[in-house]
Amino acid sequence: MDQIERLIREKLMRDAQAKTRRHFIKDCATGLGGLALGSIFLGCDPLEPKGKKEKIVFSDRDLNPLATLPPPYTPKVKSVIYLHMAGSPSQLEMFDHKPVLHKLNNQDCPESLLQGKKFAFIKGTPKLLGPQAEFSQEGESGNWVSNYLPHFKKVIDEVAFLKAVHTDQFNHGPAQLFMHTGSPRLGRPSIGAWATYGLGSENQNLPGFVVLTSGGKTPDAGKSVWGSGFLPSVYQGVQCRSEGDPVLYIEDPKGISRNLKRSTIDAINKINKEEYAKYADPEILARINQYEMAYRMQIAVPEIMNIESEPENIKEMYGVEPGKESFANNCLLARKLVEDGVRFVQLFDWGWDSHGTDHSTAVDLGLRNKCREIDRPITALLLDLKQRGLLDETLVVWGGEFGRTPMQENRGNKEMGFKGRDHHGDAFTMWMAGGGVKKGACHGKTDDIGFLGIEGRVSVHDVHATILHLLGFDHEEFTFEFQGRNYRLTDVEGEIIKEILA
Amino acid sequence: MDILKQFLGRLHPILVHLPIGFIILGLLLQWYDRKIRAHSKIIALIFLWAGILSAFACVTGYLQYLGEGYAFDTVKWHLWLGITTTIFCFLMYSKISEKPILVFLKKFPILLFSSLLFVLISFTGHLGGDITHGKGYLLEPFPNSVKSFFGHEIFEEKPIVLNEENWENSLFYEDVIHPLINNKCVSCHNPKKSKGELKLHSLEDMLVGGENGEIIVENNPSESPLYSRLILSKDDEDHMPPKEKTQLTKEEITLIKTWILHGNPSNKTIGHLGLQKELFLSFFPQKENKIYPDTTIAAAPSDSIAHIKMFGLHVQQISNVSTFLSVSSINKPSFSNSDFEILNPILKHIVVLDLGGTQVTDDIFDKLTSLPHLTTLKLDDTSITGDGIELLSQLKYLKSINLTHTDFGDSFIPLLKEFKALEKVYLYNTKANPKDWQRLKENQTVLDYGNYELPKIAADSIIY
Repeated sequence: MDQIERLIREKLMRDAQAKTRRHFIKDCATGLGGLALGSIFLGCDPLEPKGKKEKIVFSDRDLNPLATLPPPYTPKVKSVIYLHMAGSPSQLEMFDHKPVLHKLNNQDCPESLLQGKKFAFIKGTPKLLGPQAEFSQEGESGNWVSNYLPHFKKVIDEVAFLKAVHTDQFNHGPAQLFMHTGSPRLGRPSIGAWATYGLGSENQNLPGFVVLTSGGKTPDAGKSVWGSGFLPSVYQGVQCRSEGDPVLYIEDPKGISRNLKRSTIDAINKINKEEYAKYADPEILARINQYEMAYRMQIAVPEIMNIESEPENIKEMYGVEPGKESFANNCLLARKLVEDGVRFVQLFDWGWDSHGTDHSTAVDLGLRNKCREIDRPITALLLDLKQRGLLDETLVVWGGEFGRTPMQENRGNKEMGFKGRDHHGDAFTMWMAGGGVKKGACHGKTDDIGFLGIEGRVSVHDVHATILHLLGFDHEEFTFEFQGRNYRLTDVEGEIIKEILA
Repeated sequence: MDILKQFLGRLHPILVHLPIGFIILGLLLQWYDRKIRAHSKIIALIFLWAGILSAFACVTGYLQYLGEGYAFDTVKWHLWLGITTTIFCFLMYSKISEKPILVFLKKFPILLFSSLLFVLISFTGHLGGDITHGKGYLLEPFPNSVKSFFGHEIFEEKPIVLNEENWENSLFYEDVIHPLINNKCVSCHNPKKSKGELKLHSLEDMLVGGENGEIIVENNPSESPLYSRLILSKDDEDHMPPKEKTQLTKEEITLIKTWILHGNPSNKTIGHLGLQKELFLSFFPQKENKIYPDTTIAAAPSDSIAHIKMFGLHVQQISNVSTFLSVSSINKPSFSNSDFEILNPILKHIVVLDLGGTQVTDDIFDKLTSLPHLTTLKLDDTSITGDGIELLSQLKYLKSINLTHTDFGDSFIPLLKEFKALEKVYLYNTKANPKDWQRLKENQTVLDYGNYELPKIAADSIIY
């Protein structure tokens, strides 16, 4: 103990020695000058209405940044579950039925299609690769689905397909950022952050935006795909882990009891309240609230993240594997979270990058395994939401960051051992289901080989505009001022896809 | 040197106010001195200074014109009049101080000079303002009638008024195409601002075309730029309207195509052309299918909302455009029947009530009848059995009831037939039995018993 004290004394001494009189004077100049300047600016704020100073009105948001706000317009859904297949699934083996491509299998791709196109790996003249799956029309809507997804046909009438989505990015990182933040570059808030910022979160014990990942890896674009960008960081996604603590450091440290924690927080809050009585700064109230919320979350989060307590038949329906990291577990968790008022649940499943470099990325082998891993959970999720009356007030979105080429990948201009497809942003499939979405709709059409959209092409911005519309926003009015201008999720584009709205 | 030039140029908007002030001061003093004529010396001096400053303003103005890249056409009148003003200042000085060089000035009365100078300075200043603030800046706050009186072209949104009665007798061009083009194209293609030398405000001008020639090829939409440019990809440079402007809807584009296809008629009615009604349906007034009651009520008092929030219930407006409220017990699982009273001040406002997972019992039904606008009711995860649910049949807006995870019994299902607006009842995990499906079928109410299953299939266990 003595030694530690001696060390601390020594450190303080050294610090003091290192700081010269010059440092002090310099600090004074910038510090005091800044303070003075601050008060001057405060005094001449032209936007400040007269007499405002006397009466400080606190909104709920001042005290709790996640307090709910009403949406600008009547919303169709309260929450969103976004299922992202990271790596990009092959639409040609799942939803986009192309019999002509089957006939053209192994023929050289026409030069005219390749002109001016950029591919991640395809070189020279690739060969067309026929669909490896068998397709059938299912449900009353008669929409196409492949035999890779045998369960999905049960819910196909709940879903509205977008068959000709396009993006201008053909690498995973930027394409994922584009899909989730509306810009292929870093720094913009994700859809979930926008939604939580705009609407807040009803459950005061849980975060408003939760992220769950599966498939062994997190998305290539990193955590920025659920980041808050220039929005306050409280609106970023909270990643919950499947193993160990769902949120890092949520457990009390060893030897600290819940009671001790309570009295610690009480003591801190008491000091903060005294500070507030002195300065009346709403930031202090916000801080008090945050401590309380963290304390409540310590109980609520582990509780909700526990899927063991679900009844057997539900666990079977999803095909969960408790204790493991699995997409099925995450689907079940997504339902539980939405049921408990979480605004935005983002699922990422890694392993969809079907280049055909090995067994696991072959469109006839590995892709089929991936499809099996999501088929039952997604179908169960839609059915489970439905039977609980939640599908009416939840939007489920499914997609990747782009699609895959109708051509077989020929990495290094060589024939490859497995059947794979390269990245392709010109036409791919996404779907939506839930409140406000037209059941069984199918919008957009690709050409005979699924290379280009020929009807009903929609952009990533259009998808965003539609999601925001369903949440009750006008995507053109929903802005945040940053660096001197107003930013939108949809930048200067985006049109609501009316064709898939009920 | 360049820096100095630019800097001086930018000083112009400030400097010009000096000669303006001096001239006005000089004119006012002239007026004051008109009888006594005792201050001629000072007044002359003021005009001398005004002249020098005007000259300086002219120079800086010219530098600004060079530096900021204005077109000469934009500034020419301002420039010439500015120089004239300067000259007039010196003339005034010479006349008042009776300089011998300019004797001929004596022939003209001083009043003529003064008034001319006044007109000059006002007009020059106004032109300068137009350059910095844009034309029509002063007129902007005035109503359109005043603007058009002063000869200002005004852009006015023209509504397309079509409905079940009038659509066949409406003129295709006059009532549909013209307002459509007016609303989406004319702001850039009008007599004042004709991008690409194209004017679209009238049919005659439309037929003239723009710098690339005609824009309508009769009966041939795909050859007519008026149509073909609309359907280009938005990223195409030639796409119209430009990417960042409001785009035409799909229905509007189809109408332009149809109009050209029928030989761009100017005075034929829709009925006369034999066009399908479907083409115009999207312009008919839409009957909106509202989720919540189609009535408006005054907003609930904010202090009672605050009080209910303090109690622990979640209360929120449905949206910023509605005063109806959604109330949820999500953070208040201890809510029980007796707590219902706290909602008394907002009974009329509640359209969504979520009492899921609370302590409420069947006695709550009687209390719920006091919510006239209730649309969505959630009573899931409670000990509700359904006794008394028939009381809710008087709620004429009630569309959805969630009773999942309750003890709701079979025998109450027939009572739901009396519910006028009821669309959905969720009965998953209750005591109700799916065999009752048929009973409410003709009533258009969906009873969802849930309990969906996904039986195991062979494909579940095949690993590739």
